[in-house]
Amino acid sequence: MKLKKYSTEDVLFSAFIAIFMIVFLILTLYPILNTLAISFNDGTDALKGGIYLLPRKFTLKNYDTVLHKDNLITGAGITVARTIIGTLLALVTNAILAFIVSRKNFIFRRQLSLFWVITMYVNGGLIPTFVLFKNLNLTGTFWVYVIPGMVSAFNMLVIRTYMNGIPDSLEESAQLDGAGYTTIFVKIISPLCKPVYATVALFVAVGQWNSWFDAMLYNRMKGELTTLQYELMKLLSSVTNQGQSVEAMKNATGTVTPTSVRAAATMVTILPIICIYPFLQRYFVTGLTLGGVKE
Amino acid sequence: MKKKRLISMLLAGVMLGSMLTGCGSKNGGNSSKDSKDGVKEFTAFFAVPGSELNDDNEVQQIIAEKTGVKVKETWLTGQTASEAVGTIIAGGEYPDFIDGGDGMKSLYDAGALVALDDYIDKYPNIKEFFTQQQWDALRQDDGHIYWIPQFSNIYGEEKVCVHNDEAFWIQTRVLKWAKYPKITTMDEYFKLIEDYAKANPTMDDGTKVIPYTILCDDWRYFCLENAPQFLDGYPNDGSCIVDPTSKKIIDYNTTDTAVAYFRKLNEEYQKGIVDPESFTQTYDEYISKLSTGRVLGMIDQWWDFANTAGDALKTAGLDKKGCNYVPLPITIDGRKNQWHNSGSVLNTSTGLAITVDCDDVEGALKFVDDLLSQDIHNLRFWGVEGTDYNVDKDGMFMRTDEMRKRNADTAYKASHSCSYSYFPQYSGTSRDGKNAMKSDGQASEFFDGLSADVKECFEAYGAKTYVDMIGTSEAPGDWYPMWSYSNSLKTDTEGGVAWTKMGECKHEYLPKVVMAKDFDKGWAEYMKAYKACKPEDFINQMQKELDRRLKEAAKYKK
Amino acid sequence: MEVSVNIGEKSMEKKKKIDWKEIRHQRVLLIWSLIFVVYGVIFCYLPLFGWLMAFQNYKPARGIFASEFVGLKKFQTLFTDETFIRVIRNTLAMGVINLVVTFVMAILFAILLNEVRLKYSKKVIQTISYLPHFLSWIIVCGILHDILNGTGIVNEILMNLHILKQPIDFFAHPGYFWPIVAFANVWKETGWNAIIYLAAITSIDPSLYEAASIDGAGRLSKIRYITLPGIKSTIMILLLMNVGNVLNAGFEIQYLLGNGLIQRVSQTIDIYVLRWGVSQNDYALGTAAGIFKSAVSIVLIVVANSLAKRHGEERLY
Repeated sequence: MKLKKYSTEDVLFSAFIAIFMIVFLILTLYPILNTLAISFNDGTDALKGGIYLLPRKFTLKNYDTVLHKDNLITGAGITVARTIIGTLLALVTNAILAFIVSRKNFIFRRQLSLFWVITMYVNGGLIPTFVLFKNLNLTGTFWVYVIPGMVSAFNMLVIRTYMNGIPDSLEESAQLDGAGYTTIFVKIISPLCKPVYATVALFVAVGQWNSWFDAMLYNRMKGELTTLQYELMKLLSSVTNQGQSVEAMKNATGTVTPTSVRAAATMVTILPIICIYPFLQRYFVTGLTLGGVKE
Repeated sequence: MKKKRLISMLLAGVMLGSMLTGCGSKNGGNSSKDSKDGVKEFTAFFAVPGSELNDDNEVQQIIAEKTGVKVKETWLTGQTASEAVGTIIAGGEYPDFIDGGDGMKSLYDAGALVALDDYIDKYPNIKEFFTQQQWDALRQDDGHIYWIPQFSNIYGEEKVCVHNDEAFWIQTRVLKWAKYPKITTMDEYFKLIEDYAKANPTMDDGTKVIPYTILCDDWRYFCLENAPQFLDGYPNDGSCIVDPTSKKIIDYNTTDTAVAYFRKLNEEYQKGIVDPESFTQTYDEYISKLSTGRVLGMIDQWWDFANTAGDALKTAGLDKKGCNYVPLPITIDGRKNQWHNSGSVLNTSTGLAITVDCDDVEGALKFVDDLLSQDIHNLRFWGVEGTDYNVDKDGMFMRTDEMRKRNADTAYKASHSCSYSYFPQYSGTSRDGKNAMKSDGQASEFFDGLSADVKECFEAYGAKTYVDMIGTSEAPGDWYPMWSYSNSLKTDTEGGVAWTKMGECKHEYLPKVVMAKDFDKGWAEYMKAYKACKPEDFINQMQKELDRRLKEAAKYKK
Repeated sequence: MEVSVNIGEKSMEKKKKIDWKEIRHQRVLLIWSLIFVVYGVIFCYLPLFGWLMAFQNYKPARGIFASEFVGLKKFQTLFTDETFIRVIRNTLAMGVINLVVTFVMAILFAILLNEVRLKYSKKVIQTISYLPHFLSWIIVCGILHDILNGTGIVNEILMNLHILKQPIDFFAHPGYFWPIVAFANVWKETGWNAIIYLAAITSIDPSLYEAASIDGAGRLSKIRYITLPGIKSTIMILLLMNVGNVLNAGFEIQYLLGNGLIQRVSQTIDIYVLRWGVSQNDYALGTAAGIFKSAVSIVLIVVANSLAKRHGEERLY
C-alpha cells in the first residue's frame, strides 16, 4: 500500500530520517575507511599519522604479511568448520530450549528460565574452567570450540521473546489436530521464527568466526587445531608490545609497525562476513508476514 | 536444488570437523617426538610475546640437521605471563622448555621444573656460560638450579655500539646548529633546546617543532619518572638508588635532585617547551611524533623508539635533515654520569627451564649446549654464510646492503632466520676473537648502517659509537641491579603493596606536578599522597635484599 | 482513531493443575529440560567451585583443593581499599551511561531504518552500520585519539567555528572521559545492537499498518502505536538482561583511553583486578571481585524482574 498524499509531518519526518541516516553513515563509515586506507599504506609511513580516507604510500605488503602467515590455511579450515558446526548446534539447542520455556503451561517454566538467566552473571573463572575441560577431555580436541558455549541464555532469551509473540491460537489448534510438541516446534513455530533464527545464527557465527582465545588456551600446542583468528592474533602480538614490561620489550624479537598489519588483518577478517551478510539480511529487511498464517 | 546444495555443504563441514577431531584426539599432550628424518622435536613455551617461525624455516632446518633437534616455539598471546603460567600449571601439562617470565616462581613452587645442577658439568658450553658465583646466585631456596637466564651475557671483550638504555636524547641538527657544544647539565640541555626552538620554530613543511616531549603511557612512564637517579650520577638500579659507600638504599623520588628535575620540567611546561600532549599521548602517537622529526629531545630507552621511529625517519629522508637522535651525558650539575653500564647483568628472576614432562632432559640440555657452540651461534645471530653475510679475507663478517635489508624484513625472518631467541645466547666477541657474537655488535656493520648526520655528530665529539657519546662505567657493585628484585615484588608483601601504590600515585601526580600553575603547591600535594603509600615499607624491604646480596657476594671475596 | 495492538501480550497464564496426565503430556519437554539442566550444571555451574579461590591464599602449585584458607580476608582487602570503592563508582557510572545511550540509539536507529522507503538504501545502510562492530577496540581507540587530541579534527572544527580559542586536550580532563567512552560504545555497536530490533520489527503484522493507514495515521503515530508496542517485549528483555551487566562496563576501552591524569575516573573494576590481582599472581583477589560483581548483578536482575512483573511486562524468568 502506498499513501498518495504526503502530509507535512511525513515530509518533515522523511527529511529527518534522511539527515539522520547520512550523518550516521558518515560517522560509521569513517573508521572502516580509515582502517582500509591504513591497511593499504606503507607501515613505516603510516607511523607518521595523518592518514584519513586514502592511503598515502600505497602498498600490498601488509596483506602479503598477513596472508603469508604460516598455518593460515589450516586455521581458516578449522574456523569455517567451527563456524558451521558451532552455529548449527547453537541454533538447534537454543531454539529447543527457547521453545520449552515459551510453552505457557510447562511445569518448570520459571525455574528453567531462572536456571539459565543466572548463568549469564556467574563465572567460575579461567583456571577452574580450564581444569573442568581438561577433566572432560575436551582440551586438545575440536569440540572444545563448539560444545561449551553452545547454549547461551542470551540467545535463548532472544528467541523466547520472539516465540512469545506468536499467537497461542496456533499451538492450540495444532494440538486439537493431535500434533505433539515436536511437531508444533518443527512444523509450526520454527517456520515463523526465521528472522530471529537468522539473528541468533548471525550472533553465534560471528562469535565463532572471531574467537581465538579458546584456541590459545586449550589447544596451544596443537598446530592442527589452530584457528584463523588465533593465527592472526599471534601475528599481531609478535608485532605489538602492548602491556608488556621493560624487560620483555628489551629482549623482544622483531618489532615492526603494528598498526598497518592490524588494519590488514581486520580487513581480512571482515571480508567474509560482508559477503555472507546479504544472505541473512533478507530476513531483517523484509519481514516474514505472520499475517498469512494467522487470520 | 538450493536446499540440497546447502545440506551437502553442511555435511561436508561436519565431516571435516569430525576428521579434524579424529586427528586431534590423539594423545600428544607434550613430550618430544621423533619425526621421520630422525630429528627429535621438542616444544617450548615462552611467556613473552614473540614471532612464531614458519614450519619450514630454513635456518631452523639447518640447525636441526646439525644437532638432530628442532624446537617448536610458542609465545604469549593476549594474556599476562602469570595467567598463562597459571593455566599451564592447572592443566598439569608442560612443554619441554619453558620460560615463565613473571610466573617462573609459580612453576618452581608447582614442582614443574627439573633441577639442572647435576647436569651442568656435563655440558661444557653451558658450564662456561656462567661463573661459579653466578651459578650459585641462581640457586633457589632448596639449593638447586632450575633455570638459565638467557640474556646480557658477554663473551670476551664487550662489543657494544648502541646505548640500548635510557638517556636524554637530542636531534643531531640541534647540536649542529649550536656548533656541537659540550652539554653536561640538565639546565644546559633545556637551554639548548629552547634556543634552537626559538630560532627554528617550524619544520620545512611548516609544522611546528615540538621541543621536548614526555612519553607517559602506562608502564612506559619511566621516561618521566626515573631520571632523578641518573641525574644524581647513579646507574639504573631501577627502583631506588644504592649509595655505594654506605650501602644504604635511597629513595630517588624525594631527593633534592628530583625536586629540581620536576621543577625544571614544570618551568619548561609553562614556557611551552614541554609538549602539552605529553601526558595524554599513547605510545603510537608518541612514535608518530618522533617519526615526523618534529620532536627535538626526550628521555627514553633506545629500544623503545629507535627501531620504529628510526626507520620511519629514514624512509621520509629526515635523517638527511639531522632528525636522528644521539644521547647526551647529562647529570644535574655535570658530575660523572652512569647512564651506560658495561658488563653482563645477571637477571636471576627468570630464565630457560626444562620441565618434568620432558622425557629427554639430557637431549634437551645437549641442544642448549649445541646452541652455544660458535657455529650454531653464528647461524642463530648472523645467518647462513653467503646468504646472510660474507666473510672477507681477514675473516671479518660483513653484510651487503641487500642482505641487511632482507634481514630486516618480517616475512623473510619468519621463513628464513631462526635465532631461538629465548634460548641462552651471548653478546660480545666471537670465539674467533674478531667478530661480534651478534651482527648488531659488529663495528663495521654499525658504521655502514649509520646515517650521515649521526656520523658527523660523532666525529665532532670524538666519539665512535653511541656509547662513546655518554661514556661508560663498570657495574657499581655486587648488588647491581636492584630491579631484578623489585620487578618480581608482589602484593603479598608490605613492600610490594607500597611499591604498587607508589606507582599508581606517581602515575597520577607527576603529570599534575609538571602541569601545576604553582609548582611548590603541586609538589606538596604530591608528597602528601606519596607519603600515604608508605614508601618506607618498600625501602626497608629493598634494604634487606641489598644486605642479603652483599652477604652472598662476600662469600666469594676471600 | 484508536489502534490497539497486543502482539506481545500473552493471555493470562493458565494455572493448570499438575497431575500425572499433564506430566505425561509434557514428557518431551521434560526430557529435553533435563538434558539442558545437565548440560548447564556441567558447563556453567560446575566451574563455580573456582569461587573457593576467593577464600584462599590460592597458589597454582597447590590447586584449588589444597590451598590455604584465609576466610573473608580478600573481601576485607577489597572493601577497605578506597581505590576499590572508587572503581566501583566509575564502573557503575560508565555502565549506566553506556546502557542508556547505546540502548536508545540502537532502538532509534532500528526504527528509523525501518522507515527508510528505498529498499536498496536500506540494505546498504544496514550492512555498513554493523561493520564497526568488527573493529577491535584498539583500532577504534586509536582513531578516537587521533580525532580528539589537541591537533585533532574536532579541535580544528571547534576552533574554526570560534567556539574555542584554545584547543582542548579531551583526554586530560576527567569530565570528558565518561562521555567519550559512551560515544565510543555507540559508535561501535549501534548498528550491531539494532539487528535484534530489526528482527523483532519483522514480527509485526503488516495488516496493522495497513489498517492504521486507512484510519489516516501518520508515520509518527504508526511508530508510536504499532512499531514500539510491537518490539516492546524485545526491548524489555534486553533491558532486563543489560541491567545485570552494568558492572561489566568494560576493560579494554578504559585501559586504552585512560592515562595517569584521569585514572581516578577511568579505572574500572576489571582494570583494578588486572593491576592488583592478575599481574600480581593474586588469583583470589580477582575471584573475590568477580563474586562481588555476580552478586550485584543477580540482585539487580531480581529487582528489575520483579518490577517488570508488577507492571505486567515481559520478564526474564
